[in-house]
Amino acid sequence: MAVLDNATQRPEVRPPVSVKGVNDGLLFLLDEQCAHEVLRAFLQELLFDNPSPLLSGPQINVSVDYGQREMTPEQNIELMRLFLQKENFTIREWSSRTMARQALFAKPQRNARPQYIHRGTVRAGQQVYYDGDVVVVGDVNPGGEIAATGDIFVFGRLRGIAHAGVRGNTQSIIAAAEFSPMQLRIAGTLTRVPEARGQAQSAFMEFAYLCEEGMAVDKLQYLFAIRPKKVGH
Amino acid sequence: MGTAIVVTSGKGGVGKTTSTANIGTALALLGKSVCLIDADIGLRNLDVVMGLENRIIYDIVDVANGECRLEQALIKDKRFERLMVLPASQTKDKTALQPGAVRKIVQNLKAQFDFVFIDCPAGIEHGFRVAVAGADQAIVVTTPETASVRDADRVIGLLEQEDLQSPKLVINRIRPRMVKEGDMLDVDEIVQVLAIDLLGVVPDDEVVIKNNIKGEPTVMRPDTKAAMAYRNIARRILGDSVPLMPLDDQPGFWSRVRRLMGGKR
Repeated sequence: MAVLDNATQRPEVRPPVSVKGVNDGLLFLLDEQCAHEVLRAFLQELLFDNPSPLLSGPQINVSVDYGQREMTPEQNIELMRLFLQKENFTIREWSSRTMARQALFAKPQRNARPQYIHRGTVRAGQQVYYDGDVVVVGDVNPGGEIAATGDIFVFGRLRGIAHAGVRGNTQSIIAAAEFSPMQLRIAGTLTRVPEARGQAQSAFMEFAYLCEEGMAVDKLQYLFAIRPKKVGH
Repeated sequence: MGTAIVVTSGKGGVGKTTSTANIGTALALLGKSVCLIDADIGLRNLDVVMGLENRIIYDIVDVANGECRLEQALIKDKRFERLMVLPASQTKDKTALQPGAVRKIVQNLKAQFDFVFIDCPAGIEHGFRVAVAGADQAIVVTTPETASVRDADRVIGLLEQEDLQSPKLVINRIRPRMVKEGDMLDVDEIVQVLAIDLLGVVPDDEVVIKNNIKGEPTVMRPDTKAAMAYRNIARRILGDSVPLMPLDDQPGFWSRVRRLMGGKR
């Protein structure tokens, strides 16, 4: 029976209000689309006909976030009154962009490595070193050098030197929108790209990785087939 | 208040001094007051290219050391009343100048001239830092060769560090025929790599070398393509939008006849 219930509950039929527990209280996220009446009725029921000890227990901090929802001042006050009637609620925030909501979505992901985004061209003689993954939004020109303890992604032309996994992580990869590097280094392995490759430009992103035979280059869509551990965070 | 523009390249021999002399003279031709500073201490040659070497009494190092007034060291050009050269010293070496002193001199000159051009020495060491000290803008000169483009790229990076944002590019000594045959980097390729605005493309021309020896800037002779290119650069500096001129020679009458007859050009 319970299984059936779950199956019929489609993901798009979300309740007009979702309640999240945040660091020091509750965050009410109001639906942005549904009619005002529906929302008010739902809130009425949620706040006053709910036996949950959380909503009628001891003093608690409450943030209410209505996002992009459009409301007239009357509607806004009407909703706020419902919350004010709850004696154990301390309303801390009532806005379209509450700190509580931002903190919720900006929560750092577990196991995420530090990342550095370099904006602009890495020119000859410039070196970018970072303990983590490096993303370059721009070209790496001949003579420019990127070194990272993790992976390197270049959204532009990689024509300089890239060294991924400088501390010896052989699972690291180097990816670029256009792949014509002077040198590729992953951990302790170094390769020079054949000169002839210089002209052949491909329309897809490629990445270099280490395999048993040495360094290999493949289309980026195969990254997660070759390095399944990189899926996720 | 005028504008101070440093002309630099990293690599030597790409035409910094020639470009400085010609762009400066072209701006003087357009009625602007211009001062050219030779910051290549110890290897002065801007005065030679301008044909003014036998008029030098004081130089920029004397001014920096307070041995003479700035006005005493300025040399008036032969052709233009409002074109001056501040020569480099030939006897001292590069460490004789400090960035602070040059910044002060450039500030003074900016008050008197519409444009102050600083001819930077080759390299990226002390001399480079001195030359860029007082500049508001930068022109990077490169030739269509890999080594020169590489050095220009490095210099652009250093200019950005010195807070000279968005330098402008002059591609010097291009040979349209070699580009067409793929023996020389083409303009688009260079601009793509360096990713800065193109100020002008100057074709390679023997006349430029002859004129440098004669001490007469090429822009004075409007019948050459190099002269037109430098004049266009000057107009672009003043904010005119001048299209890049076509570089390849129009086929002449006889070459067309020859081609019609099935022969090679």
